Amino acid sequence: MTLLAPLALLGLLFVPLIVAFYLLRLRRHERTVSSTFLWRALVRDVEANAPWQRLRRSLLLLLQLLVVVALVLVVARPSGERAAGLSRDLVLVVDASASMAATDVFPDRLTAAKRAAIAALGDLPADGRVSVVAAAESARVVANEATDRGRVTRAIESIEQSTAPGRLAEALTLASELAERARGAEILIVTDDTASAAPEVALTVPVRVLTVGAERDNQAIAALAVRTDPSGLERTVFVSVANYSDSRVVRRLRLLADGTPITARDLPMEAVSRSDVVIDELPEGTRVVEAQLAEIAAAELPAENSAAPSPPDRLALDDRAWAIVAPDRIRRVLLVGPGNAYLQTAFALLPNVELYGATAAEYGSTTGKDRFDLFVFDGYLPEELPGAAILAIAPPASSPLGTVSDTLANPAISQGAAEEPLLRNVDLSRLHIAQAQRMELPDWARVVLPASDSSPLIYSGLREGAATAVIAFDLRASDLPLQVAWPILATNLAGELLGLAPGGVEPVAPGSPVELALAPGTAALRVTRPDGTVAELAPSATGAATVTWVDTRQLGVYRVERVPAPEAAGASPSAPASPAASPTGPAAGATPAAGASPSTEASPSAGALPPGPEDEPTYFAVDLFSVEESNIAVGDGGRLAALGSTTAPDAAPAGVARDEWWPLLVVAALILLLAEWLVYERDGARRIGAGARRWMSGLRPWRGRAT
Amino acid sequence: MTETRPGAAAAGGARNSFLPSALDPQVFDEAFLRQLDRLMLVSRTAVRGGMKGVRRSVKHGQSVEFTDYRDYALGDDLRSLDWNVYARLEKLFIKLFVEEEDVNVHVLLDASASMAGGSPDKLIFAKRAAAALAYVGLASYDRVTVSILQGRVARRLPAVRGTGRIFSVLADLSAVKAAPGATDLAAACRHYAAQLRQRGPLMLISDLFDPDVDRAIGELAATRCDVALLHTLSLDELDPPLEGDLRLVDRETSERVDVTVDLATLDAYRARLASWQAHLESISARRRVSYVSVPTSLPLADLVFAELRRRRVVA
Repeated sequence: MTLLAPLALLGLLFVPLIVAFYLLRLRRHERTVSSTFLWRALVRDVEANAPWQRLRRSLLLLLQLLVVVALVLVVARPSGERAAGLSRDLVLVVDASASMAATDVFPDRLTAAKRAAIAALGDLPADGRVSVVAAAESARVVANEATDRGRVTRAIESIEQSTAPGRLAEALTLASELAERARGAEILIVTDDTASAAPEVALTVPVRVLTVGAERDNQAIAALAVRTDPSGLERTVFVSVANYSDSRVVRRLRLLADGTPITARDLPMEAVSRSDVVIDELPEGTRVVEAQLAEIAAAELPAENSAAPSPPDRLALDDRAWAIVAPDRIRRVLLVGPGNAYLQTAFALLPNVELYGATAAEYGSTTGKDRFDLFVFDGYLPEELPGAAILAIAPPASSPLGTVSDTLANPAISQGAAEEPLLRNVDLSRLHIAQAQRMELPDWARVVLPASDSSPLIYSGLREGAATAVIAFDLRASDLPLQVAWPILATNLAGELLGLAPGGVEPVAPGSPVELALAPGTAALRVTRPDGTVAELAPSATGAATVTWVDTRQLGVYRVERVPAPEAAGASPSAPASPAASPTGPAAGATPAAGASPSTEASPSAGALPPGPEDEPTYFAVDLFSVEESNIAVGDGGRLAALGSTTAPDAAPAGVARDEWWPLLVVAALILLLAEWLVYERDGARRIGAGARRWMSGLRPWRGRAT
Repeated sequence: MTETRPGAAAAGGARNSFLPSALDPQVFDEAFLRQLDRLMLVSRTAVRGGMKGVRRSVKHGQSVEFTDYRDYALGDDLRSLDWNVYARLEKLFIKLFVEEEDVNVHVLLDASASMAGGSPDKLIFAKRAAAALAYVGLASYDRVTVSILQGRVARRLPAVRGTGRIFSVLADLSAVKAAPGATDLAAACRHYAAQLRQRGPLMLISDLFDPDVDRAIGELAATRCDVALLHTLSLDELDPPLEGDLRLVDRETSERVDVTVDLATLDAYRARLASWQAHLESISARRRVSYVSVPTSLPLADLVFAELRRRRVVA
C-alpha cells in the first residue's frame, strides 16, 4: 500500500484534540426543580448501570476518533499496486451503432459497453493515456490521450446512442492512426460485433475486444415502400418484416396512413425468416405511411401460437418505419394534329393529366417542349422527335418510330398476345378498320395488335429510353373510338407511356446527408424533425439550388417547408417568379385552330399554371433498414481481434495499475458518522421510532375495519 | 384557571365588591371565586352530608334523632321514658337518641419551599384546595382548623365555623408564603398531632417530597383521625420537560444532582415516580389513611366532588 498524499496524515493531530475535549469537564445547565428527591433515587439506579454509561461515553469518543482517522486516510489516498493488464497507451473504440440499443442486457448494450469500458480502465497503468473513439454514424474522437481518469470516464459516458449503422471500419482506421502515434499502444474495442463480416482494415497494433449482449431476439421492419400503379389510381404498400430470432414468433404489424391506423395484421414468423406483406388499401391523399411492429399480449394470441410465448423484441429502433408517398404529379400531354375529339376526350378524362393542343404548323414554334411528358402525334410526325414519350397515330411517313411501306385496306384483326398489358380488359374482336398504314415493326417494339397478315396495327416499346407506342391507323378510319374498348385502351396506353416513375420518395439512411432543393425566391428551409424541434436551413451561397441537411440522426419523418424571401413573400402567388409558370405556355403560343383545339379546361393559360409543389411542405423519411444492425446476434469478437497485429507491445515497459481505496474509506467514514450520530441521538432515534409506532397504531383501526 | 387580571377587582362589579383586600388576587382570583360560588350552589344539596364522620357519633345522646330503646334503670331521666310503649306494654323503656358532636375538620397545608413552583403552581393549587375543603367543612357547620406546615412546626390558624367565615380563611391562606430552607414533614406532623385535641377528618395537602414521609404518615395516622393525603404534584413533576446534560438544583435543600436526561432517563423517572406513589398508597392503606394523587391541573370542583368523593374523603 502506498499513500499518494502522505502529508494528509497531519490531520491525525485532530485525534489528541478530540481526546482533550473529552477530558474537559462537561458543562451542565443548572435547572431548579421542586425537589431532587426522585432524581437522587434515579441517579442511584443509573449508577447501578454505570458501566454502560461509561461505555456509551467512550463509544462516542471511539467512533469520533475512527471518523477522524477514516477522513484523514481518505485525504491521504492510500492505494494498492498491481501489474497493469493494458498497455500504457490505449485507444478505446466504443461501438454506439443502432444495434447497441438492444435491451438484452440491462439497461441496454451501450450502457453495458460504457460500464465495461470504464471497468477496463482499472487495468490501465497509473500513468496510462487513453483516447476514446465513438463508432456511430461516423467515427468521432471524444477523448484524446487523456490521462485523467475522470475526464476519460466522462468522455465515455458522453457517448450517445446512434440510430445509424455503425462505421466500425472508419473508427478502427481512426483508432489505428491514433495508436500509431505512441509506441506499444493497443486498441480495445467494446462492441456487440453484430456485423456479418469483419471490416477490411489492416491494423498494426494489437486489438482486444470486449463484447456485450446476450440474445438475438429481434424482429425488424426490413423494408417499407409505396408504389403507385401505372395508371396513377392505386397505391400499394410493401412491407417486409424480418425475424432474426432463432425461435418462432408472432408479431402484430400495424400500418398508419398520416397517423391514422388503417390495418393491423398478426404475422406468425418462423425462426430467422422474412415475411412480406402487400397492402393495397391506402387512402387517397396519404402522404406518410408508417409501419409499426408490436408484440402481442399472450391473451390475444391465437390458440395455436399461445402455447409457446414469443420471446421479447430486444431492439425497438427497427420496429417502426416510415415511407413518403410521392404526391400526385400533373403530367402534361401535348396533342399535335388537326384536332381529334376522340383523342382529346380520352386524354382529358385521365387523372392528373393536363392536355395541351397544337397544330402541325404551330408545333415548330412551340416553346417549352421539354416540360411535356407525352407527345401525341395524330397523323403528323415532326422531323426531330422529342425525347419524351410519344404516341404516334397513323404516322404519315417512315421515321425512327417505324417504316411505313404501304397502306392496308380493311385489314383483318388478329388475336393479340394474351398477357399483353396494353390489352388488359380491352376487347377488340369487333374492331373494324377501313385503312391502316402497313408498318414494319422496329426492333425496340413489341406487337400489341397484329393484323392477320402479321403487320403490326399497334405496337409499343422503349425507344432510346423513351416509352413509345404507335397506332398504325387513323382513329377516324376505324370504329375503335365508338367502342367501349377505346377509353380502356387509352388509359392503358397512358399508363404505360406516362407512368414510368411511379415510385415514392426513397428513404434516407440515418446519419446520411439529404440534398434539399431550393426554389428561387426561397430564403431558407424550415425543417421539422420527428421529435417536433424545428431548424432553419439557409443556403450557403445566394442562388444555390440545393442545401444539405445533415442532422438525420432521428428516425422518422422530417417535414421541410419553404421560407419565402421577403420580396417574394409580398408578391402575388401567381407571379411569374414560380418556375412552374416559367414556360411561356405551350397553349398560348401554340393554340390549334378553332375546332381542333383541346377543350378550354385542358388548356390553361400561361399565368394560371397550377402552383408548383414547392409551396406545399415536402417530406422525407429516415429509416433504419439495416440487416447488420437489426440482426443483433452477438459475435465473439474473434474476427475483430484478428485484425490487429499479434506481436505483443514489447517496446512499452509493463506498467503498474493502481487501485485507490478512498471510496471504501469514504463509505466507512459515513457509516461511522451515522453510528456516532445514532449513539449520540439515541433519544431522537427512539422518538422517531415511537412516532412511527404511534402512527402505525393510528393506522391499525383502519386495518381492523378493512379485515 | 390561574388567570390573573390585575383590574378585575375594580372592573368586576358587584361580584368583586365583597372581596376583602387581604385576599391574594393571584391565589384567590376571580376564576377561583367563581368556582367557590359554584361550590356554594352545589353544596346546598350535595354537601349536605359534609365531611365523613362529622355528623354522626357512635355515642347516644341528646338530640332529636331516635336510635333505640333500653330498659329503665333507676335514676334515668323520666323525660326520656316512652309513655306510649308503657301504655301498651306496661313496661318502662327509655328512648335513646343520637348524640351530636362538635366535629373539627383539620386541613394541613404543606408550605415548604418545594411547594413553590411547578406548573401550574403547587402552592397556589394547595391553597385553593385548602380553601375549597375548608368551605365544604364550613358549609356542613363543622369547625375548621387550617394549619400550615413549615420547617419542623405546624402553625395553626384560628379555628372557624360557619360559611360566613370563609373569607377570613381565604385571607389567612393568602398570607401563607413558602418557607425557605428544609422542611421536616414528619416533625411538623408530629408537632400538629401533639396539639390535636379533637379528632375529626384530617387532610394533608402536600407534595410529600420528604425522605421521612412514611413517618409523617404514621404520625398523622396515630391521631386516629380520618386522615386523607392529597398528594399534589405539578405537571412538570409528573412529566418533566427536561432534556440534555443538566444539573438539577433542589429548591428546598439546594442540593445538586447531575443528570443526563434522555428518553430512557425520563422513562426511568416516570417508573420511579409511579413506584413511589404506589408505595405511598400502600403504606397509607396499611395505616387506614386515604391517599389521593392530585395533579395541579385538576379543577377544584372535580377534586371536591369527584376525586375526594370517590375516595370517600367527602361524604
